[in-house]
Amino acid sequence: MTDRFARLLDLKGFGAVLFDSHFNIVRMSPAAEAMLWISGASKPRGSFLDLFPELVGVEEQIAAIIEGKDADYRLDLVSRESGPGRVRYLNLLLLPDPAPDRALLVIEDVTGQALSRQAANQQRYELFLYRTSADFRRKHSSERILGDSPAIRRVRDTIQKLGRTPSATVLLTGETGCGKNLAARVIHGSSMPADAPFIEINCAALPEHLIESELFGYEKGAFTHAVSAKPGLLEEAHGGTLFLDEIGEMSANMQAKLLAVLESRCFRRLGSTRPIKVNIRVIASTNRDLQADVAAKRFREDLFFRLNVVSLPLPPLRELGDDILRIAEHLMNVYNVEFKKRVKGFSADACRELLDHPWPGNVRELGNCIERAMIFAEKEQIDASDLVLSPLADPVVAPDGDRWTVPSGGIDLEEVERRLIVSALNQSGQNKTKAARLLGLSRDTLRYRLDKYRDQPPRPPRR
Amino acid sequence: MAADYRKCAEKNIHPPVGRTGMGLVKKKICLLGAFAVGKTSLTERFVYGRFEEKYLTTVGVKISQKMVPPIQAPGGGRTVQHVLLIWDIAGLEKFDHVTDNYFRGAAGALAVADLTRPETIEDLKRFGTRFRSVNPGAILVLIGNKLDLFDDDRGTLARLEKLAREYATGFILTSAKSGARVEEAFLELSRKIEGFS
Repeated sequence: MTDRFARLLDLKGFGAVLFDSHFNIVRMSPAAEAMLWISGASKPRGSFLDLFPELVGVEEQIAAIIEGKDADYRLDLVSRESGPGRVRYLNLLLLPDPAPDRALLVIEDVTGQALSRQAANQQRYELFLYRTSADFRRKHSSERILGDSPAIRRVRDTIQKLGRTPSATVLLTGETGCGKNLAARVIHGSSMPADAPFIEINCAALPEHLIESELFGYEKGAFTHAVSAKPGLLEEAHGGTLFLDEIGEMSANMQAKLLAVLESRCFRRLGSTRPIKVNIRVIASTNRDLQADVAAKRFREDLFFRLNVVSLPLPPLRELGDDILRIAEHLMNVYNVEFKKRVKGFSADACRELLDHPWPGNVRELGNCIERAMIFAEKEQIDASDLVLSPLADPVVAPDGDRWTVPSGGIDLEEVERRLIVSALNQSGQNKTKAARLLGLSRDTLRYRLDKYRDQPPRPPRR
Repeated sequence: MAADYRKCAEKNIHPPVGRTGMGLVKKKICLLGAFAVGKTSLTERFVYGRFEEKYLTTVGVKISQKMVPPIQAPGGGRTVQHVLLIWDIAGLEKFDHVTDNYFRGAAGALAVADLTRPETIEDLKRFGTRFRSVNPGAILVLIGNKLDLFDDDRGTLARLEKLAREYATGFILTSAKSGARVEEAFLELSRKIEGFS
């Protein structure tokens, strides 16, 4: 290696190792020593191949280079430990040396470039695996359910197991806003191919005459406005998941029809005699006590048992302890991106408020609370004063003479409505027609609103 | 010494790859296969006895060493002990003369497929063909990894078996996660390299 060439390599930040035909190291540049993470004491004296096991097996090629028969030999992106937990990526290039019986190894540190490539590949491959590999999704989908409390770990564990049984029917239970919809989607995502359909029906939102045609589809002329045939949601869910939200609101007539489908996995479109077979996973959810409804003859016992193959109760937020803070932090990060903010966390007082609040609306309520705080946040931390927690753990806002009073802390209007609906239902003995009359609504409107505000009893605040 | 290797090449005999003292022989072996089939996990399990749940894609190549127990030829013949230089090669999407250098000089390879992604068995064809074109005499052993997640799908096994027949070799089902048959896979390759099985 000429001095001029050595200087050039140094200038370019390349390392150089000169060795002879017996694979003994003749000279090593300081840059090479730094790249190979060797110091004076640990400087190798022995074989070039001991220092570069990457070149074991290609001695023949090396010999050809030393003899000037081959021009070069190159190895790219060789990873090496360069300290505890640190990896360095090197490109190795073997070149003949002008001196006889010698060759030169030029080393280039390409760690930055390699790490960029790794980050890009990681994203690309993870996306690919997510789309194509049920196992990968099974492993990673359940991570969407945040938290580390025993209750959440149990949920995650059950979901992972359900990922391996794509035909098992699942009944999700839990209070409103505690993530039943998310759980259904995670179960679907972890057990079905990426392109499998996920069809969601809110049984409380669709009137009975519509739910039947929506679910089963119809043939042309099946009824007055059936001008063309339409496949039902059951057909569209074929090969995927049918999610029946608020199953407890389904009418007795539809319960019987759904039971027949669940038992035979077969149905007919309205106006058709041709049976259609479907391969679907059914996930049902409710915030009602279905067993109590069965006892009260409001829900079919046989359908309950058919749906309750695997029961997955989702815990209310107030039972999740520190997970509340984890979820709040996740939401904060989401809104940081959405609102282009740089909020870094919650003050100790804010954390205490979040942990002490009973969260009758569960994660949905927490989401609204954090969103509101993030909209107005101007500091790096969210303080307790930034959190507008629902005062509705107290009795519902009452009229004061002919005027309504808003508490000084403000109110959550949706929560007021929910409470009024609950109150009306309680007063009417759960009779929806009477409750609707008390609220000045039609029965259908009340049923639509029940979709959002199911009958959660008010809870006293903890504070 | 370099001239010795040159002479071996001229006589078309395998050079004494990485012969060490004390009767140990260094052998370069490669782990081939598509991305995320578990090549790094198999290496980590075999060399360090550990397993990392999180998938971290490999870039380029990482070389690890492990001395395997001595192996003996059938019928009480000669005994050899290998120090395996294990080349954990990234799941290459295309091949060129630079990537060929990763394969060059290898005495054998574990060609790894993911049992939960049957398409990765098809990928082994291009890896195996390219590897054999660089090292015509090298040994291949096929690996079906992620046995712990495998639902015992006969179609997948049949594909693996068919490919193993095409390469005139065997296949082993492993789980880097549980460690099942991982050591056996490396030792089987070691035995085959010496022509002991």
